[in-house]
This record gives sequence, structure tokens and C-alpha cells, in this order.
Amino acid sequence: MRSKKITAIDIMRMSIVIAILIITLFPIYWMITTSVKPTDIILMTPPAFFFQPTFEHYKYAFEQANFAHYISNTLIVALGSTFIVIVCGSLASYAFARYNTGGGNLMFFILTTRMMPAIAVVMPFFVIFRTAGNTAIGQFLQLGLDRLGTLIVCYTIFNLPFAIWLMHSFFQDIPTELEDAARLDGYSRFKVFIKVVLPLAAPGIAVTAIFCLLFSWNEFLFASILTRDVARTITVGVGDFWTQRGILWGPLSAAATVCVAPMILFALLLQRWIVRGLTFGAVRG
Amino acid sequence: MKKMDYPMIDLTDIRKRKKIMSDGAYGILLVTPALIVLFFFGLVPLFYAINLSLRHVDLTAGPAAKWQFVGLNNFRFALNSDVFFAASARTAFFAVVSVSIQMVLGISLAFLINQLRWFKGIVRALFLLPLASAPAAVGMIWRYLYDADFGVYNAALRAIGLQPLNWLGDSNVALFSIIIFDVWQWTPFVLLITLAGLQSLPKEPFEAAELDGASTFKVLRRLTFPLLSPVLILVFVLRSIDAARLYDPIATTTRGGPGAVTETITYFLYRVGLKQFRLDQASAMALIILFVIIVFAGFMLRRLMRQQSERARFN
Repeated sequence: MRSKKITAIDIMRMSIVIAILIITLFPIYWMITTSVKPTDIILMTPPAFFFQPTFEHYKYAFEQANFAHYISNTLIVALGSTFIVIVCGSLASYAFARYNTGGGNLMFFILTTRMMPAIAVVMPFFVIFRTAGNTAIGQFLQLGLDRLGTLIVCYTIFNLPFAIWLMHSFFQDIPTELEDAARLDGYSRFKVFIKVVLPLAAPGIAVTAIFCLLFSWNEFLFASILTRDVARTITVGVGDFWTQRGILWGPLSAAATVCVAPMILFALLLQRWIVRGLTFGAVRG
Repeated sequence: MKKMDYPMIDLTDIRKRKKIMSDGAYGILLVTPALIVLFFFGLVPLFYAINLSLRHVDLTAGPAAKWQFVGLNNFRFALNSDVFFAASARTAFFAVVSVSIQMVLGISLAFLINQLRWFKGIVRALFLLPLASAPAAVGMIWRYLYDADFGVYNAALRAIGLQPLNWLGDSNVALFSIIIFDVWQWTPFVLLITLAGLQSLPKEPFEAAELDGASTFKVLRRLTFPLLSPVLILVFVLRSIDAARLYDPIATTTRGGPGAVTETITYFLYRVGLKQFRLDQASAMALIILFVIIVFAGFMLRRLMRQQSERARFN
């Protein structure tokens, strides 16, 4: 039993944790402060901790480096793929949870596709989309190298297995009695799904959607290989400041802050479900 | 009349539907859209990769060049390629060292935080920050922190009277710098999941052990770790799979250099396939890696995921 008295051990524990937290948070603190440091201070040795903050780097990133364009690209791709993932994924994971479709084998096969090394998929995609980009249908659907449709396809594939597994865990939490009752009231199976199951699963579906948005936003490999200018996303755009003349640390930090900050907010929002999400629904934190 | 009609119609409706489609068939119908997506966009590229790996494909040869069928030549080339093996060994080394450090640090921290008296929630939330940030973006920031001249880490080393390091430029140090970055980003992953596991442990066995006067060490060895082990193994497998395909921070910090000391397998395949445009060789190597990952991780994961979700169902 733990005593009520504050002991030296309690204080020691707390100080160790605080020390580790400082080390952990320092890179992010440094990123944010660098983004508001004047250029001459950024390159000072030893590094300066106190300075007059400036927003010139943000101005540079958005006005000269077209960063707003990358953000809108990322949003289109992330929202588009998340929408497809949620529609297809919720139907599928519901079938897995209620009708045990495929007896677990199918679901496991789906998980395997998520474990594939992305590089093994991106190379054939490079050739396939290069060809597709030259056809009329491909151009119409925005499929091709450096096109947004291409990225939507890629992110859909990579988020769908994750979403199916995570939503499956949420669907399992819904008692079947409610559905049976609705069936007896004369609802069709599909109507039960829409009117009874979906409202109950809404929080879980929202959590899954936010996770998908987060993964799409942070994705780099597909975006860096399959896009150049037109469809360039934010994570790739941060690298823009690694130029021939050297690295522009100020604008780069500003860009990185813009890239990282919204996702940190999302993660804090997801806090209660983060463990469940990180383990594909297997561990309920 | 209306009162009679209303339920009648609905009942026949249900019966009719049941005749049209069994629950099993209905389940398959629901799964179909997802399977179509995964099939067309997941399996087709895979078959295409197999196709590429069996031909001579050199994208620099121009669009007119025929992709000649060469059988298993590319696989033969891959298995005889020293650089391929070097990259695989390097990746394995990276994954083993990095994931081990993360596991040890993450588990210890989880125990520490679990016993904190104050601010548990805030501490937990703050450890989310590295996890949520895009590896490619924070990788660039770490490049700045690691900078040999005006990086903060060297300034810190100088301040305590140590020799500054060329973190990303020294071929003896660079891979370890990447490991430090990976540990920074992913230790919270181990920490958060272990912490959740700790907090959901049943209370009774521990109370019984305390009554019996079992030592702390014995409780850990006989109770805590055995009860936690499914979660820990799951974390370990998930982390290993991810570590084995590390790409983002390599691409934004060292680009595989200096020399090839930080060239992980994914970055190596990227260089062969999309810089030298030998998609055939790169595809053959990627398929070999894919096979290894599925054999290693697949079976482990299957058992673990099933165990965990069964357990959750009865909780």
C-alpha cells in the first residue's frame, strides 16, 4: 500500500521524469523558437536562447515558397483518402465484427497488406502511374505522376487496413442486443447499420478518421517519390528549404512548425484512444 | 385496416430479404468495396512488381526499349549483391539496437510514470509530441540540432568540456545519430502502450503477493512481466516492422551518407530503383525483403492480434 506521505522517492521520481521530458521536448521547443529567430541569431555559436522574435520566416515560407499550396494539397489528399477509407472500411469492419466474414483469415490478410514495405509498392506504382498519366482516363481522374489522385489512391491503400482493424475494435464494443431489437422492429440489416450501429460507433469512427488524417498528413515516402511540384505535400515541402545555396534554417523551422503543430493538437485530442490506435485496436488503453 | 397491414408488410419484407441473401453473403457484400480497393491498388502493384523483377527494366534506356524477360536473373543478382546484403545487415543492426533501446527505456519510463504522484496525465500527454510529429519534418530539425558548427548538441558538448562530434558527417557516428533520433521519436510509443498495459493489470494477484510478503523483484518477475508480456511482444513486433523500413529521416538528414553508412534497406532500394532507374533489380530485392518481413512478422502478429482482441472482448 502506498503511504499518503510525500517521500523523497516521490520527489526523485518526479525529477527524473521532468529531466527526461525536457530532453524529449527540447527538439520541438528548438524548432518553434528557431522559426521566430532573426536569421543572424540562428547561425550564432554558441546558440542564443534570448532574442527579439520575428515572423519573417513564416512570411517567407508562405509568400515566396508557395507553402500554402502544399498545405491545400495535403488537405485535399488527406481528406479525400480518409473519406474513402471510412466509407469502405466501416462497411467491411462491421461485416467482420458481426458476420465474422472470412473467419479471421481475410482480416489478417488485410493486416498483412499494411505490413508491406512501402518501397515495394511505390516502385510498381511509379511505372503504373507514369503510364496512367498519359491516358485520357488517367488525366481525367488526376492519376499520374505528380497528381493528387495518385496520392489519394496510395494513402487509401495504406490507411484502409489500419482503419478496418481499429473500427473493428469499436464495433465489437456495441452490444448485439440493440441490433437484434431493431431487427425485430422490422428494420432491414442495412437500416440497422445506418440507424443503430453508425450512431453508436460514431466516436470510434471519428477517432479512426482523425488517425487517418494524421497518417496522411505525416506521410513522406509516397509523396516524395510520386510528386514534384503540382501535387507536392507539406512534408516534402519542408525539404524545399534545403537549397543549392545551403539550408535556410529559419523558413525551414517555420515550415516544420506549421507541419507539426496541427498534428500535435490532433494527438492531444486523441489522447484517450492513442494506445488503441497505435496497436490497430488490439490494446485498449 | 392500417394497423393490420403495417406489421404484415414489414415481416414479409424481412423474410424476402432473408431468402435473397444469407448473413454470410451479406457480410461478403459489405466487405467487397474494401477488398476491391485493396485488390486493385494493393495486389496489382505486387504482381506488377513480380513482373518487373522478371524482366530487364532500365528506365534510362528510353521509352522505346523493350522490357525483355530474363527469368530469375534479377533474383540471382540480388542474392549475389554485396551492397544489398550490406544494406540489409545495416538495417537489421539499426532495428535491433534502436528497438532494444526503445523497449528498455520505454518500459522503465512506464514503470516510473505509473508510480508518479502528480501530473501523470500531463506527463503522458507531453510524451505524445514526438510521436505525432512527421518524421520527415522533425528529421530536418534534428539535422540542425546535429549540425557540426552551430548545432545545439555540439554547443552542449563544448560547454561541458567535451570534444564536439560531427554527428551526421562522421562515418563512425552517423548511424548512431540516426538511432538516437529514432529512439527519441519512438520511445514514447513503447512507453504509452506499456503504461496502458500496466494500468489495466488486475489488482487482486498483486494484493495477494503483497500479503504473502513477496519481494518487489519476485513480483516483477512472476507477476508483472508475465501478465504484461503479450502487450510487450506486440509492441516489439510493431516497432520492429516499422524500424526495418525506416526511410523518412534518412531522406531528410543524411541521404544514406556519409558513404553508405546510414543507407537503410528502404533508402537503398529507392536509390537503385528510382535514382539509378533499375526497377527490375530493386523490385527483386524488395520482394525478397517483403518475403522476409511477412515470414517473420506475419506469424507473430497473427497470434498476438488474435490473443489481444479475444481478451478485449471478454474484458
